[in-house]
Amino acid sequence: MPHLKAALSRTLQLLLVLWAVVTILFLMFRLMPGNPMAAYIDPTFTIEQQQALMAQFGLDKPLWEQYLIYVGNLLQGELGQSFRYREPVADRILALLPNTLILTFTSLIIAYVFGILAGAYLAWKRGGVVEHAAIPLVLTTRAMPEFWLGMVLLAVFSFNLGWFPAGGTRPAGANYDSLWALYTSRDFLTYLALPALTLAIYSQGLPLLLMRSNMLDVMKEDFVTMARIKGLSNWTVVVRHAARNALLPVMTSFAIAVGYQLQGNVVVESVFSWPGLGRELVNAVSASDYPLAQGAFLMIAVVVIVMNLIADLLYAFLDPRISHA
Amino acid sequence: MTEPLLSVRDLKVSYTVGFGKIDAVDGASFDVPRGSIVGLVGESGCGKTTVAKALTRVIADNAAITGGRMMFGGRDLVTLPEREMNALRWRDIAFVPQSAMNSLDPVYTVEYQLNEVLRRRGGLGRRDARRRCEELFELVGIDRGRLSDYPHQFSGGMRQRVAIALALALNPKLVIADEPVTALDVIVQRQILDQLRELQVALGISVILVTHDISVVAYICDRTVVMYAGKVVESGTMQATLTEPSHPYTMGLRNAFPDLQGAASGVLTPIEGAPPVGRHD
Amino acid sequence: MLDAAVERKPSLIGRLFRSLRLPLNEPFAVLGLLIYALFVLTAIFADQIAPYEPTEILFTPDYNLAADLRPGEDGYILGTTSLGRDIFSQIVHGSRSALLIGITAAFMVALIGSIVGLVSGYFRGWVDVILMRLADIAFGIPFLPFVIVLAAFLEPSIWNVVIAMALVLWRDTARVIRSQVLTLRSRGYVDAARVAGSSDLKIILRHIAPNILPLSFLYGSIAIGWAILTEASISFLGFGDPQSISWGYMLQDAFASQALAKQAYYWFVPPGFCIILVVSAGFFITRGYENILFPKLGR
Repeated sequence: MPHLKAALSRTLQLLLVLWAVVTILFLMFRLMPGNPMAAYIDPTFTIEQQQALMAQFGLDKPLWEQYLIYVGNLLQGELGQSFRYREPVADRILALLPNTLILTFTSLIIAYVFGILAGAYLAWKRGGVVEHAAIPLVLTTRAMPEFWLGMVLLAVFSFNLGWFPAGGTRPAGANYDSLWALYTSRDFLTYLALPALTLAIYSQGLPLLLMRSNMLDVMKEDFVTMARIKGLSNWTVVVRHAARNALLPVMTSFAIAVGYQLQGNVVVESVFSWPGLGRELVNAVSASDYPLAQGAFLMIAVVVIVMNLIADLLYAFLDPRISHA
Repeated sequence: MTEPLLSVRDLKVSYTVGFGKIDAVDGASFDVPRGSIVGLVGESGCGKTTVAKALTRVIADNAAITGGRMMFGGRDLVTLPEREMNALRWRDIAFVPQSAMNSLDPVYTVEYQLNEVLRRRGGLGRRDARRRCEELFELVGIDRGRLSDYPHQFSGGMRQRVAIALALALNPKLVIADEPVTALDVIVQRQILDQLRELQVALGISVILVTHDISVVAYICDRTVVMYAGKVVESGTMQATLTEPSHPYTMGLRNAFPDLQGAASGVLTPIEGAPPVGRHD
Repeated sequence: MLDAAVERKPSLIGRLFRSLRLPLNEPFAVLGLLIYALFVLTAIFADQIAPYEPTEILFTPDYNLAADLRPGEDGYILGTTSLGRDIFSQIVHGSRSALLIGITAAFMVALIGSIVGLVSGYFRGWVDVILMRLADIAFGIPFLPFVIVLAAFLEPSIWNVVIAMALVLWRDTARVIRSQVLTLRSRGYVDAARVAGSSDLKIILRHIAPNILPLSFLYGSIAIGWAILTEASISFLGFGDPQSISWGYMLQDAFASQALAKQAYYWFVPPGFCIILVVSAGFFITRGYENILFPKLGR
């Protein structure tokens, strides 16, 4: 099975990249000027107290030893202690991850459903007035700063019309029996709506443009002409043949878009005070809480890298020319 | 003599290119008798493929049928409303494309593509369609176990057989084959042509064989129509065309045909200059 | 197709300009170029256009702080911020930092990417392997978080944002340029030049570089948009250069000063519009380019 071998070498390559990113991350945080704990050392601490604190976080050892400890800990899923919260970074990140994933996937699914349909429609109606107006408009949505779009939506739908809450994931003081109860509550949806819409408006451009240009290419293919000669209905020709073929690369781009979205989340989560990984990263960096910032960064990097791999594998899986070679 | 299955009169097809128009087919007339193979022959760009596509009325976006008649079963395909024309497609007029590789959808199995025609166009039920698929594969000599394969898993010759099976699916009266063997090597060409001939006789259908290769025409066609620069310059029985050509192009064609006796027939006789193009800006 | 280098050229400038192959027959690309021109002029003449210093704190005639004035009130075209600064003047001056960020980042991204792509594609072998692995690694680094961390750790300045962007974004340009170089290499004239005794440097400069220049320019123009958007995000999150007034900084200021609750659209809508205008101008040019470089993709 040749594609199994390809997948294997691709996975090895991924591990290499992962290791490189981990190393860069380590160096980035350790080679910073100044004492990493400066913000957390009380001036009244004695030298001994300071050193004890440094030792507690392993910062008294030479750099190479710190690196080995760091990598060793990572392999055991140990991300260190947060300076600020004095709790394991891993716990905190795992608690925030669902929020980020829900936001990311909700917005991307909306974006892809809309983008694919609209892209196919524009390709079908090529050369028309709608298309000439739509393409620059779509490019414009790609040129918008996501957080600005979020601000405008907040100002209009939350502060002016009062339709949606201004931020967070739940009403003040509300408590839920479990996370599941929170995520399935109606309140949660009203909190999710605006940030998800913001990200969706920004993200729909990619699948839309991709779908459209693929469709235009596929429509020129012989098998589409043949489908017409077969007397198949317009719907069958456009949807089952043209769209189905054009969809392959668009589906692959979904995985890559997840990675991109996670990065975009950093700002949008901050606008909507959405308690996710991105906002946590920003807060941790602002508060010089390096272990937490490092952990959040690593988590995002892992998702980006894994999604790049999934994109490759998905393509091979969806395209019979590769999967049935 | 009965009336022909298809009778094309003064057909005109033109392409819009930039601000001008090119008459790709400029007044073509020919007949396709019932139960015969008619070779539509000519060099590339002479309009033969355009004629073939025009018969299905699926033509390029920038092309239009601008005149003439195509009488088929007492109806004129040129003026037939689109709905009725579409009802005719594949059930009465089927098509074998030049390159089966590109004309089979790569993401579906061959069975799916046969089923699509059988069920959506032929109105067959699931079980009947399955039986017909196996029947068709048997007809073109492919193992029925390969029905679930994807197009790329077949060899060139096999794909062309699949394309023929696909064309025969709904028992059409007329099959238009557009350069059906051009991409294949000579031995496979022969097999496919033999099979086409066999099936044509067995099923009593008519075939229009579009080709640039006069030897293919000589091999299986009953009648031949020679096109040059958008016009039909010669038509008649195979015998007459090859023995008594009247147009200089046909003479050239005949002379280009290698002598089966092995004696070199001398130099090729090209027609001076390039074929005229019916262009008016 | 890309035969610009073959003909004889009159002057270096004319040659350079022609090998950029600006998409002047695409209406949207021309619109994009016009927006760029307007934006560059605004940046150059910011001091003449802006009625006030962007950070100047203004007072009303009766000596109150001129804070939160609506557009047109007391003659402030777009009103004032909560600290009594003139919004219009900030917008005008914001074009300077956007221009600075955009051009320098685009230049660095295009330069690094082109050099890496050229070297990688031309010399191949282990150099190629190493450089492309580095590109893979750069693809694994989440862009925005990386820029945030670097901008936060190094002292906040425009340059650090530019450096952080260049460190990651060169990867896209490098990959495309590399594959273009591989295509060019396989054409006859590179071999012909080598047989004729040309040195590698000469072949690269004379035969390959001129042909990849439009691609570098294309990726540079994409990078301008990215850079401006990224700088806006960084400033919005509070990691920007506090010394310079950028559109991102204005948005952060507005957000932190409750402009949303105050419904002060005049404050946060214009900077957003400016960003959109400039970034989409880049996209329009890019699109025009793609239609020239890859005509198959055209509408």
